[in-house]
Amino acid sequence: MEGDIMNVGAGLAIGLGAIGPGIGIGMLASKAMEALGRNPEAGAQIQQNMILAIAFTEAIAIYALVVAIIIKFV
Amino acid sequence: MSKILGNPRSIAISIICVAVLVISIFGGALGNTLGFGFFASSLPAIQLPAEKIVDGFNTPVGKWDLMNTMVTTWLAMLVLIVVSLIIRRNLKDVPGRLQALFEVVMEFFLSLCEQIAGKEKARRFFPLVFTIFIFIVAANWMGVLPGFGTVGRIAGPEEIAHHHDAHDYHDPALVTTTHESKESKAKHHGSDEAQEDGHDSHLGTVKLHVFRDYKTIPVAALSPGSLEEELTFSEYDEKNGNVGEGKRAGHLVPFLRSANTDLNMSLAIALIAMVMVHFWGFSILGFFGHAGKFISFKSGPIGFFVGILELISELGRIISFTFRLFGNIFAGEVLLMAMAFLLPLIGIIPFLGLELFVGLIQAFVFAMLTLVFASMASISHNDGDHH
Repeated sequence: MEGDIMNVGAGLAIGLGAIGPGIGIGMLASKAMEALGRNPEAGAQIQQNMILAIAFTEAIAIYALVVAIIIKFV
Repeated sequence: MSKILGNPRSIAISIICVAVLVISIFGGALGNTLGFGFFASSLPAIQLPAEKIVDGFNTPVGKWDLMNTMVTTWLAMLVLIVVSLIIRRNLKDVPGRLQALFEVVMEFFLSLCEQIAGKEKARRFFPLVFTIFIFIVAANWMGVLPGFGTVGRIAGPEEIAHHHDAHDYHDPALVTTTHESKESKAKHHGSDEAQEDGHDSHLGTVKLHVFRDYKTIPVAALSPGSLEEELTFSEYDEKNGNVGEGKRAGHLVPFLRSANTDLNMSLAIALIAMVMVHFWGFSILGFFGHAGKFISFKSGPIGFFVGILELISELGRIISFTFRLFGNIFAGEVLLMAMAFLLPLIGIIPFLGLELFVGLIQAFVFAMLTLVFASMASISHNDGDHH
């Protein structure tokens, strides 16, 4: 019983934790595309900064994933 | 089209591809639910802390054990040292391929440092930033090599029970059947019975895996077809520790595990980076110049609390440094394991590429953040007011 509830908790931890970063990465990419459309010459720089910012945003989802893994396996 | 199909070699290749696809879909854990699963090995027991390979020795500050992540760290260091020695010995005006690669990477980072920190400070920050980058890249990319996480020693049931805080568990296979030990076994059984509940809550969900027992060499690997043979602790007790001829139950403790899946490793790099950032802050701005950012009485109570907040955010930086790297790499390793478990042979291939990319990006992010923090720490807050 305890194990079942822990499974639900792990699922909720990563499921809820992925919402924010998902929206964030979507917004980042849409803005980057907009910038690319306005100024195609700056493509390389936009792409580099976009990947960097996505890495930061994604890190928050990774924190949730770590919590989920801790709940599940430790 | 008919030319391609008519070629016997391309027919052979496409037949092999289809065969591999079918084997991996029906042979893996996915196929196991359909009643096949002949190729599926059990999913390795995922452990957060690094695992012990060899018992170490006692030192004045505590016991020192050889952990599997430590071995990988040493390997990464060895690779970097050997590569740097090779490049150093063959330095030429007209670079060869290896030298050219490293020149490109180094120039990229040096120009990045100059962009962010300015020409003067760039030379000062560059060695640490670049060292962090190449070390993390080497350590991360090593983690996707074959053999990492799949070959190791077997941890017996008693050791696993010990990890799950069931210290009074005794492996029935190891208890000899002399009269004396039978008595003590009976006693233990009685005491086990008394605290059955506590015992079960720790070990009830833990699965033991079955490995082939090579008596002469203490090496084990996950073997295909072992998924069906998983058993729980109570089943193991019922069988009296006898899981079959030439087989042993337990968990796999890999000899090699990606270095940054150990929280200690990423914390150590984060601490080195932040200590150096503040060292540069103190040495460039002077003691009071740098400490004044955190504890200041000049601008009233609000300024004081802003300083305290800055101090807390410095701690937050260490934590986010640590967990960003650790989380990405650990999640990647778990992902690779799960895909190899679900779809053996092919499921893992796209994710290997993803892991190479993630390893590079995380190393780059770590180095970049160190650089940005260093250049922020070396700029005085009051520059605008006084000059």
